[in-house]
Amino acid sequence: MLIRVERFYDRLSRWLGKGLSFVLLLMTLNVFYDVIMRYTFHNSSVGMQEMEWHLFSVVILFGMSVALIEEGHVRVDFLYDRYKPKNKAIINIIGTIFFLLPLALLIFFGSFDFVRDAWEIGEISEDPGGLRYRWIIKGMIPIAFGVLIFSAVGYTVKNINLYRFHKDGGSVPSTTDGGAQ
Amino acid sequence: MVGIVMFIAALALLAIGYPVAFTFGSVSIFFGVIAALVELLPDPSLGAVTDEFLQMFSMMPFRIYSIMNNTILMAVPLFIYMGIILQKSNLAERLLEAMGTLFGKIRGGVAVSTVLVGTLLAASTGVVGASVVAMGVISLPVMLKYGYSKRLATGTICAAGTLGQIIPPSIVLIILGDVFQQPVGDLFQAAVGPGLVLVVCYIVYILILALLDKNVAPAMPPQEGGKFVNIQKALMAIVPPLTLIVMVLGSIFAGIATPTESAAVGCVGAMVLAALYRRLSLQIVEEAALETVKISAMVFAILIGATAFSMVFVYSGADYIVEDALTNLPGQKWTFLALSMLAIMLLGFFIDFIEISYIVVPILLPIADIIGLNPLWFAILIAMNLQTSFLTPPFGFSLFYLKGVCPPEVSTIDIYRGVIPFIFIQVVVLLSIIVFPGLYGFE
Amino acid sequence: KVRWKLAMSWSSTLTPLAAAAPKLADMVSKMSGGNFEIRVEGAEKHKAALGILDMVKGGQYEMGHSASYYWKGKDISSVFFTTVPFGMTSNEQYAWFYYGDGQTLQDKAFEKFDVLSYPGGNTGVQMGGWFKKEIASVDDLKGLKMRIPGVAGEIFAKLGVAVTNIPPGELYTSLDRGTIDALEWVGPGMDIKMGFHKIAPYYYTGWHEPGAEMHYLINKKAFEQLSPEYQAILTTAIKAVTADQTAMNFDANARAWAQIKAEYPDIKIMSFPPAVLKEMKKANDEVMSDYAAKDPLFKEIWENQKAYMADVREWTRMSDYLYIKTVEALQE
Ligand code: NA
Ligand code: NA
Repeated sequence: MLIRVERFYDRLSRWLGKGLSFVLLLMTLNVFYDVIMRYTFHNSSVGMQEMEWHLFSVVILFGMSVALIEEGHVRVDFLYDRYKPKNKAIINIIGTIFFLLPLALLIFFGSFDFVRDAWEIGEISEDPGGLRYRWIIKGMIPIAFGVLIFSAVGYTVKNINLYRFHKDGGSVPSTTDGGAQ
Repeated sequence: MVGIVMFIAALALLAIGYPVAFTFGSVSIFFGVIAALVELLPDPSLGAVTDEFLQMFSMMPFRIYSIMNNTILMAVPLFIYMGIILQKSNLAERLLEAMGTLFGKIRGGVAVSTVLVGTLLAASTGVVGASVVAMGVISLPVMLKYGYSKRLATGTICAAGTLGQIIPPSIVLIILGDVFQQPVGDLFQAAVGPGLVLVVCYIVYILILALLDKNVAPAMPPQEGGKFVNIQKALMAIVPPLTLIVMVLGSIFAGIATPTESAAVGCVGAMVLAALYRRLSLQIVEEAALETVKISAMVFAILIGATAFSMVFVYSGADYIVEDALTNLPGQKWTFLALSMLAIMLLGFFIDFIEISYIVVPILLPIADIIGLNPLWFAILIAMNLQTSFLTPPFGFSLFYLKGVCPPEVSTIDIYRGVIPFIFIQVVVLLSIIVFPGLYGFE
Repeated sequence: KVRWKLAMSWSSTLTPLAAAAPKLADMVSKMSGGNFEIRVEGAEKHKAALGILDMVKGGQYEMGHSASYYWKGKDISSVFFTTVPFGMTSNEQYAWFYYGDGQTLQDKAFEKFDVLSYPGGNTGVQMGGWFKKEIASVDDLKGLKMRIPGVAGEIFAKLGVAVTNIPPGELYTSLDRGTIDALEWVGPGMDIKMGFHKIAPYYYTGWHEPGAEMHYLINKKAFEQLSPEYQAILTTAIKAVTADQTAMNFDANARAWAQIKAEYPDIKIMSFPPAVLKEMKKANDEVMSDYAAKDPLFKEIWENQKAYMADVREWTRMSDYLYIKTVEALQE
């Protein structure tokens, strides 16, 4: 059962990663397009310029979840490297519950008012020709942290599995040791 | 007091090995509760403390939103993407190998080339993280492949990647320009000399080290064919990627793009270049994008954790303690300089350069003014000092960022040890600016 | 004992703007015998320069010092409490605020945010911006790359300018390298620190921000919890520091310009030619009418301002304008 949950999260993270890769490419092309339009055609669209950081925000906010599931977050590892896999799993489970989740929950619940204010007032860009519906991009904060909380559950399950299947304390493949590669 | 305890707690918790970003966050939550408690003394009811604490953390969405719409930070994913495309298409490897080959039997060639490439990248971005990660992706695999010591390799990359802070354009200099009320252009100009001296010192250090110890930075293996053929081959490999980097720089100087945008020009350029060499495939584009997403998210998760950390630091009033301590600095030139530089360096362990620039520097300014220090010179000293703070263990951001792209066999300790010689070089250059301002064009 | 916090939209080192709030805090503390303390925090601490209204509304800060037109995206009517193109000078605007319907209308506009808003110091006439080339005709504006936010940006966009968003940190490099051809900032007092005078030969006079007023925001609930004495202390101190800031800005601008002129005597002070201004005015009327058609409050304030301006402009002309003219005639 828990293995199935882990697989579900792996799939989820793969799809999220693919989606975000696409957004990153869009962002790159967006910036490039704006440069070309301004330099060659002396034409700037404030909306397009704002779209740059909208895409950028989506990448960094939701990327946190992908990085979590796929062990992309950096650690100080001089002790961690020497732990047995079982202990690593314990650190990860405890860390997720006591370090990650409180912060994510605080930001998740703490940003409701922030988004609601923008929505109720119908906030738009303060610049001419800028994007409307500011609540959408502001809303990415609670959504992204919601996804992070959801992913944290999957990450915990993953480490529970790691704990269960490494009772003997054998070595674990180095790819799970951290590092984004 | 809370600040110092926070520092030690963060250190202890980081050592456990849970991801840095969330560890920072949890330390700030813990101390946020304490700060709320202290704030409400003498009668801290549970409800009031909770309210106070939640009020404090309701600032987080605003801070995250500021990070989101800070378009200068877009340079981070853009540079990383350019770096990974260059790496995955093998163009970066060939560039560094070719440059290394030009050194012939002289050892340390690839590391020196790394510093040179880092210098060029530094001239096109001023965002920490962007160049460190790009350099890590581009040159770490090459150096490890040719048997460089992990310490020299990581130290070189951290140092070369952090050059972006002193070589203009640079966010540190922009912020100091604001604090010092000096035109950014003047600061940029003043920083060029010290930045280049730093580059030269790095290179000299690498060459000497490689000369003394033949194992740390082996020479490139000799290749078939005459020397002439080698040079020709090397140039062939160097020219295209170098053209790309020059294009990125050129787009800034020619007024085509802002420094941030130039990174996007570089991304598109890298893809075109890879395509020309028939090394571009959909798979590479996709893989590079996915890696960029993960690495950028790693960088920004640290920024978000750190912003929670500094929020609580400021909220707990730790900044006022620092202020009080610094207001009483002595008025003799040398003691003042020594103590202020030391204070900034120490604070660099705790809080980020923005906080230092805005909280500490304004306290030093009136005193510096009375002593009659040249503001540009003093600003450059502080900039050098802040740049060093990106490198100093345990919290130097460059170290975390590089660790995030290292293969697993490189440990945090390797990086910590690797940067120490470079920190010494920084300090020596800093001292030389203090003692011989004339050499750097200061009055 | 009351302890409040005030967030500024700018960093604590950005004088003269940032010098006002600490003075306010000092006055309030002294007048209350040290029982009403306000801690002032700059943008370097809260890191949300454009989040002041939200934070004062949400109660993270009891007060803010900012500019009303930053909230243009939340309510377009907020522009009137800072300044609008071809609008009132600072003298006229203060008269409107305090003795016309200004404050009443401002209260009306900010009611929905649960905050109180008061005038908070005027920058005086803002300059039209730094240009790398001369603007002799409307055609010179076509394809011009310029950084200019707000309603003025909208007007320029209508005249064919490529309005560009560039973060402040990259402005100097961008203008220097020609990534943009022109930019609008504030006036000499603030512009001098950005160093634009070293790289742009033309400094155009203003038309779009004839008297930009900052404002103080107060969380309504927090204000209502104050005793009547403290309320009076606070509002009185705000009025005093507002006048002080206006004088401080005037002084800073005058001195900074003297310095720029001494160091860079070749900088040309230019005004947009009448033909260009005519187009700007036309575009402005279109932009404003559009907003007025969509938003009744906008319409109400716009008409109120126009009517007031019509009443008082003649006096400005007779007093300040003709006085300067009379005295200048002496020098010939
Ligand atoms: Na740089
Ligand atoms: Na302005």
